[in-house]
Amino acid sequence: MTDRSLDLLIDEVALGLADDADIARLDRMAQADPAIAARLDQARQRLLALDDTADALPLPEGFWTRLEARLDAEEATTPPAAPQPAQQNVVEVSSIRNAMHRWRATAVAGMAAALMLGVMLAWVSLSRPEPAVIAVLLNDAGEAIALVEGLPDNTTRITLLERQNVAADQVMQVWTKPEEDGPPVSLGLLSTGRSSTLTIDGLPTPRPQQLYEITFEPAGGSPTQLPTGPILGKGLAKEPVT
Amino acid sequence: MTDHATWIKACAAGDKSALQALMTAEGGRMFGVAQRMLRRIDLAEDAVQDAFVLIWKRSHQFDPSRGSARGWVYTILRNRCLTMLRNEDRVQPIGPEAMESAINDQDLDTAFDRLDQTDDLRRCLERLDLQTRRAILSSYVLGHSHGEIAGRMAAPLGSVKSWVRRGLTKLRECLS
Repeated sequence: MTDRSLDLLIDEVALGLADDADIARLDRMAQADPAIAARLDQARQRLLALDDTADALPLPEGFWTRLEARLDAEEATTPPAAPQPAQQNVVEVSSIRNAMHRWRATAVAGMAAALMLGVMLAWVSLSRPEPAVIAVLLNDAGEAIALVEGLPDNTTRITLLERQNVAADQVMQVWTKPEEDGPPVSLGLLSTGRSSTLTIDGLPTPRPQQLYEITFEPAGGSPTQLPTGPILGKGLAKEPVT
Repeated sequence: MTDHATWIKACAAGDKSALQALMTAEGGRMFGVAQRMLRRIDLAEDAVQDAFVLIWKRSHQFDPSRGSARGWVYTILRNRCLTMLRNEDRVQPIGPEAMESAINDQDLDTAFDRLDQTDDLRRCLERLDLQTRRAILSSYVLGHSHGEIAGRMAAPLGSVKSWVRRGLTKLRECLS
């Protein structure tokens, strides 16, 4: 690097125009070479008068209290860089102690929440049964509109992937064909219009290539026990790879 | 050592009252610098808070033989403001572009006018042409990037970069 380009790099860093890579590069050079460090300091010093042209504005109320609380929080997580001197008594100890208690309480509450979440996740993953088959239902345009998970006991979890505008006098009904050549059988209604879990008795365990579909039916469900309305989406089930 | 250097050294020894003294002496000006760059009071407070936390944490790195303590403090603050301006989406302009631009120009002129008549920086900035001076001032005072300066001046990025470089070279020669 020529001296001239080094000067420019120094000036651009001091001015605030250098990008992160240049700042880091100059930082390394300054660490290694005190002469470069001195030039950078000099360049900054030349511009410092411009900071003095800013208005001195009153700091917001409670600024020091908030700052002190942050310092305490830093200290709670990192050991102090240097031993504490005897001048500590200059600082009002009780406010620090209060702030410490507040931060500690927050930290403990945070840890408790994290622990609780961990337990819940473990419980959910242990207790959530694996589906025998999964089907992604697609609409005419080929967009995925729902995920269907068929459990061995014929519990069916339906996760809608798009919010549907269902007319007031209609309902979404979920169908499957347990036998390839047989008629569709209703698994139930999505009467809330949201994702839900449906249970039905007396059907065989779902198998790969089983058809699932959702149709719009009159409120209360299809009067004929067979799909009558427009199809929202349909798809063939596959066995998840585990 | 100056007051500032003494305070920073005391911070390195864990003396919070020294940080408070530095805040009393310099906090208001730092808040002004941060507001000028960030344009929002809430973000400016965050920046000054962050700066004081960094000053506290890095106080043991401060070396008075290497430069002025005030310079060290303002470098930490300015870098924090620049990071907020460059890397975070939350800094949004407060008003319509035309209004922003008028406020910006006003801030630049005020900054220049407030430089002491006898200050070498003022004398040397005066020698630059208006556009170059504004470009240099807006990067330092407002924290604008090359791209933002080019946008505001409706000038090609490459030209702005070379104006600034030429300007910085002249400025350095004039000041040294």
